[in-house]
Amino acid sequence: MRTFILVALAATGLALGSQSCSKSSDDQAPAATSFDRKAMLTNLSTNLILPAYTSFQTTAVNLDAAVTAFNTTPDAAKLTALQSAFQAAYKQWQATSAYGFGPADQANLRVNTNTYPADVAQINTNISSGTYNPTLLANLAAKGLPALDYLLFGVGTDNNAILQQYTTDSKAANRKTYLAALSTELKTNITTVVNAWNSGYTATFLNATGTDVGSSTGQLVNQLDYDVDVFKNYEIGIPAGVQSMGTAYPEKVQAYYSKMSVQLALLHIQALQNIYLGKSAQGDGLGFDDYLTQIGAKSSSGGSLNDVIKAQFATATAKLQTLTDPLSDNIKTNQGAVTATYTELQKLLVLLKTDMTSSLGILITYGDNDGD
Amino acid sequence: MKRSLLALSAFSVVLLLAVSCKEENPTTVDVVPVYTIPTTYNFTNVDFSESTTRLGMVTEMSTLMRGALTGTLDGDKLKNMFTNTSSPFSTSLTYNTSGLQLKDQCFSLMQTDALRFIDSLVAVSKTGNVASRGVAGVGTSSANAATKYALTATGVNYAQVFNKTMMGGLICYQIVNNYMTAAANNSLDNTTVTTGKGTALEHAWDLAFGYWGVPIDFPTNKTGAKLWGSYTTQVDSGYHANKIFMDAFLKGRAAISNKDTKTYQDQATILMQGFERVVGAAALQEVKEIKESLNDNIARNSRLSECYGFVYSLKYNPKRKITDAQIDAILALFPKNFYDLTLTDVNNIRDAIAKQYDFDSVKDIL
Repeated sequence: MRTFILVALAATGLALGSQSCSKSSDDQAPAATSFDRKAMLTNLSTNLILPAYTSFQTTAVNLDAAVTAFNTTPDAAKLTALQSAFQAAYKQWQATSAYGFGPADQANLRVNTNTYPADVAQINTNISSGTYNPTLLANLAAKGLPALDYLLFGVGTDNNAILQQYTTDSKAANRKTYLAALSTELKTNITTVVNAWNSGYTATFLNATGTDVGSSTGQLVNQLDYDVDVFKNYEIGIPAGVQSMGTAYPEKVQAYYSKMSVQLALLHIQALQNIYLGKSAQGDGLGFDDYLTQIGAKSSSGGSLNDVIKAQFATATAKLQTLTDPLSDNIKTNQGAVTATYTELQKLLVLLKTDMTSSLGILITYGDNDGD
Repeated sequence: MKRSLLALSAFSVVLLLAVSCKEENPTTVDVVPVYTIPTTYNFTNVDFSESTTRLGMVTEMSTLMRGALTGTLDGDKLKNMFTNTSSPFSTSLTYNTSGLQLKDQCFSLMQTDALRFIDSLVAVSKTGNVASRGVAGVGTSSANAATKYALTATGVNYAQVFNKTMMGGLICYQIVNNYMTAAANNSLDNTTVTTGKGTALEHAWDLAFGYWGVPIDFPTNKTGAKLWGSYTTQVDSGYHANKIFMDAFLKGRAAISNKDTKTYQDQATILMQGFERVVGAAALQEVKEIKESLNDNIARNSRLSECYGFVYSLKYNPKRKITDAQIDAILALFPKNFYDLTLTDVNNIRDAIAKQYDFDSVKDIL
């Protein structure tokens, strides 16, 4: 008994000792210097997150209106107007996708908006049957921007042929109904998210100033990293064949039918970098760059971690700039350049997901999404 | 990291209070032998090779089931492996001559369910179809072209259902109903030592440890951890099963060898409850994986099958706290056709399991 008590006491003492150490370091940043996380969260929510959501809401409202106008009188001019409204929404989504926490998580916004490649068979089944259940997860690849991409650019070889699908085709009426269901759903989902932020979630976000699993910084970093993960794999890696022993799947790129994959990817990496920097139309505010600098975070080679991350954003962007639209063709003609881009994105992800999170004391709670 | 430290310190404070109470009130202190508890599973006369062999048999069956992805599966061979008939194993030829089998160690319902699961998987393997709603066959993950699953027409992956129910109907069942029950009830001899195997009670305890599927210096070393040894690590961020189980196994074994009855009975209770609760944690871990593959019909259905298998396997635990009605209520939250799954279904499944096993605060990180 005495031995056991001594062992227990020793263990207790050790645990208490380490607990008090960790407590003092957790209350502030891991280094001695403190960083005003609330000020960073204020900058990010006021100048980046809410503007991103509301801008996407605007483009979704415009898109839905363009669908209504087109469905009323489907003609070449309305189709062109609808296509550009769609492109505007897809571009704005690139600056919105990273914020997949809180109300956006509740609304399942990311996968509801942008699951690709589109499941053309499922889309056509839904159109033919005239039934569509938006709550089925099996319909995720038959809705959102990728399905619209197919419906507005992929159902014919040119705009004349596309127009026929909405005028003379036997399923024209069903196709128009489906188009309207999808654009309305997009609009409804983002409106739900914006409303939630405007009716209480903003305060929730600003007040969860810790770095634990439920904190705003924790969720932001997790979703930022997850978005980089998705970017790396789905926009570049999978189409280029990095997960399939080099067998390319060019048709799996984002925006396959509208052929603006590289354009979107460049907007996407710019948006991710802006989150990291806290940079918006209002200027360069507090971001993770300032946070890492303030606490003196070092890279594995001993230098400033912030400098390494910024340099890697630049390197990855430069690689993306060497690619050309349509990316699906570029993959066929120059697969090496696409996989080289993947490699740089992979390095960026490691910095953000491993080095940055360990410096900030943030736990990654999402899995790798492969294997069992 | 912070979470675990806080939990650890809270535990330590409780321990400290408990110890000081006992010191102030010596009349309640039992006469307890003095002994030290090692930090690894290093005791004299330990032999859990029978458990290791059976885990190897399960693994070889799961490996053979992968054949459903490329052609017709040999169902007879799988059933022979289940009963160790006609020398079916090739991982290690000693399996064939071991005199050990899986079937007679399984909970009675599992003995017949396993055959049903094998038949279902074999039927899928014979179709030669590409899996989709209403069509049994082999499907490919949309995220990873190299990842394939054999699914029934309603999206069930019986290879995973088999694997997960064996974790319940064989491993948990043996640990909980056989070995831990014996320790808790003090129903085995703890006096006569057989060289290499210890007393009957020591041997039972060692076989239970062997079924966990971890190295003796776990969790410092995780090499070769399989089945529950793998899952206790996967759920460790939300439920610290690695430490809870290892501490209990070490403390209990030391107590048995030192005739400290009260202590090993307490550890047996911890492990009996732990091997039910970890099933809930594993099911929630699958929910998390489902959420990470929401838009991947094939992979999502396979993960839903894993989750279903874990929940269903609770039926094989005679010592469970969850009732049959509660298990059926959770199973009823799964759609009849897995292709009909909605996010609401996923959240309902998650919430029901979390509530049952008191994992509400960690339900999204397990």
